[in-house]
Amino acid sequence: MMIRWLKITCRQAQALLSLRQDRGIGPLQALKLRLHLTVCDWCSRVARQFRFLSEAIRRIGS
Amino acid sequence: MDRDSLQHAVAELRPTLLRIARLQLRNDAWAEDAVSETLLSALEGADRFGGMSQLKTWVIGILKHKIIDQFRRCGREVSIEAAAEAAQVETFDELFKQDGHRLHEPLDWGDPEAAYSRVQFFDILQICVEQLPAALGRVFMMREWLEWETDRICKEADITSTNCFVMLHRARMRLRECLETRWFAKQSAA
Repeated sequence: MMIRWLKITCRQAQALLSLRQDRGIGPLQALKLRLHLTVCDWCSRVARQFRFLSEAIRRIGS
Repeated sequence: MDRDSLQHAVAELRPTLLRIARLQLRNDAWAEDAVSETLLSALEGADRFGGMSQLKTWVIGILKHKIIDQFRRCGREVSIEAAAEAAQVETFDELFKQDGHRLHEPLDWGDPEAAYSRVQFFDILQICVEQLPAALGRVFMMREWLEWETDRICKEADITSTNCFVMLHRARMRLRECLETRWFAKQSAA
């Protein structure tokens, strides 16, 4: 019951990944995202790729 | 460093500066202006500059300020284009199933340092950013290259914070796809 309420889709998880990087997210959203990432390897990969992308842009020209 | 060799070294940076300025400003005339002002200002400030090793970092620091000045002067056009882009709706239906799960497995990109060490990787990265619609590219570069907080981006581009987050996410998703297709898929195939 509780788990069902905390469940989010990959689409929602990836939107939260962006929000986390741009604004920060609240504790409930963070919990939902963390739960999703523990079971979803694909989104965990995307999470790493979003961080990779930030770092890559920062290094342009340097 | 004497003035002549500094002048020469600064002039050599021009193509790099121009490419970066175009990427952030997304307007050739604005980029030319920002780069010309940067070169002038670098030569005027040469006394304050210490050593050769940091030249590029120092000049790019100046360029960032000139780009921001340019945004101030062209604020109206920037905000009109940002508003048009914000009005677009993107659902990413080609990436997700109806139930919200991803359709295709994202590739494993491996060790980031391996990509960062390749000049060609940054070429592809810049091509991918150039392929974003201008307003999207600007906002994304404000966030990730100028490293602005989103409040400041909203103010400069005159968009709501919701629109700002949506646009940043859209840009990130498109860049992820582009880099995957144009770089990482080719690396693992090679």
